[in-house]
Amino acid sequence: MSQKEILLVEDNPDDVELTRIAFAEAKVANRLEVAGDGAEALDYLFARGRYAHRDPGDLPAIVLLDLNLPKVDGREVLQAIRANERTRALPVVVLTTSTEPFDVEASYALGVNSYIRKPVDFEQFVWAVKQVGLYWLVLNHPRDGHP
Amino acid sequence: MSRAQISSGTQDGGGSRPETAAPVQGIAILDREGRWLEADPAIERLLGRTIARLAGEPLIAVATARDADALRVALQAALVAGDAQSQRLQLALLHDDGHEIHASVGITPMHGAGGGVRSLVLQVVAGRGAGGEHADAEGDADADADALSQRLAEAEAALASLNHLQASFAHGVSHDLRAPLRAVDSFSALLATHLDGNLDATARDYIARIRAASARMANLIDSLLELSRAMRAELHPAPVDLGLLVDWAHAELADAEPGRAAQIDVQPGLQVLGDERQLRQLVNQLLHNAWKFSRDRDRVRVEIDGEPRGDHVIVRVRDHGSGFDMRYAGKLFEPFQRLHGAEEASGNGIGLAIVRCIAQRHGGRAWAQSEPGTGSTFFIELPAVPDNGTQA
Repeated sequence: MSQKEILLVEDNPDDVELTRIAFAEAKVANRLEVAGDGAEALDYLFARGRYAHRDPGDLPAIVLLDLNLPKVDGREVLQAIRANERTRALPVVVLTTSTEPFDVEASYALGVNSYIRKPVDFEQFVWAVKQVGLYWLVLNHPRDGHP
Repeated sequence: MSRAQISSGTQDGGGSRPETAAPVQGIAILDREGRWLEADPAIERLLGRTIARLAGEPLIAVATARDADALRVALQAALVAGDAQSQRLQLALLHDDGHEIHASVGITPMHGAGGGVRSLVLQVVAGRGAGGEHADAEGDADADADALSQRLAEAEAALASLNHLQASFAHGVSHDLRAPLRAVDSFSALLATHLDGNLDATARDYIARIRAASARMANLIDSLLELSRAMRAELHPAPVDLGLLVDWAHAELADAEPGRAAQIDVQPGLQVLGDERQLRQLVNQLLHNAWKFSRDRDRVRVEIDGEPRGDHVIVRVRDHGSGFDMRYAGKLFEPFQRLHGAEEASGNGIGLAIVRCIAQRHGGRAWAQSEPGTGSTFFIELPAVPDNGTQA
């Protein structure tokens, strides 16, 4: 299993806590880095602002992205990730509450790897997050030469 | 909106008939390619065809061959013209019985949220000043068309803003109402695990109630979103095999409740003209309903068939479930109206509202008949696939 971190872009503290619990139950040991809005997520990924000390080549194993975010919303984050040569191949999974066809279509059009709707039911939520961890951190083989 | 059947040549004989004295004004909406989406009854009468028959057909098909090129140019021009600028032309339209109708036609582009042309509005003024014999009458007709065009543009703008509002509302509901519910459900589940040995039966019961209530509310939110989507989704009419949709819905229901015996019979080759996604939703809701109200039967039995009526098909979905009291039949298709207590069946009162909404968007109706204890029959009026199969 890749030991790189998981970047969770989520503004709802309840959902952050639940995602942590779900990964713990799934025995996913990767560190969870949380960005509370889209601007912070981009600063982290591009090593700017308060993340200026970070090595820009050090990318997370996966980005879990909510769509409705303060400041810079999820679609814009996704667009910025895909527009940058260095982050272009980064696996991004939209993890959101919305299943509005518009959101689903826009996300795929912008090049998301996967679109998961967060269930309301706790056991289903844990199951979904577990599957995401299993697939992207264990099963999936990242692009060769990817840092 | 129910569509009356329109028989051709009802007013007077066929052939080259004299134009009627009063001008006829009609409005229709076309897609970007100039195919019919919606038409008002005046247009339907003028052409002797219902919108159910016109839907998806090109406008050019109802113009005379000598006007086809001019019309094609006007449609193209409407797409490239920047603002809501109308293309205006005089041409002869063809009634279903073959006679020509001289008309003044306006084509106005309507822009979507993204700025591109979303649809074309067609205004037709016919019946007076045919062939430009009376210049003043023609002028009147043009002035009428202008006023009409103005009102129409305003109505379209109001509708677009309402649709936009509804879409953002649905988006907000989808996201912001479900997120707190997940917290309610998840943290009560976690609380139960956390306190494990220290919970008595009453405390466990309370937690179970909290979780059941949040599941019900999540289900209600999903249904409301589905209704909202059914109201505003774009329709792409094509011939649809209802049997396939029934098989699909049946498989899903059987998956969810594997122990349940069910026999669902569909008339072979039952086809209608409609939007496949919406019809799938409609079939799902109806079968779900039949399934739910057959819960006290040994097995679920449903028969589905269709009866042609003019250019529509009346689709019948007959179950042998608990039925309902016809005194409340009017409430059946209203959202949030349930004829059964929550313990009898776990409906949320939205499913049949979705069914009616979809039938209406297809220019049809939905109604039901029942006898308590014997079963119910739901009737859905949908456009038939035209005989000549040009839609196929």
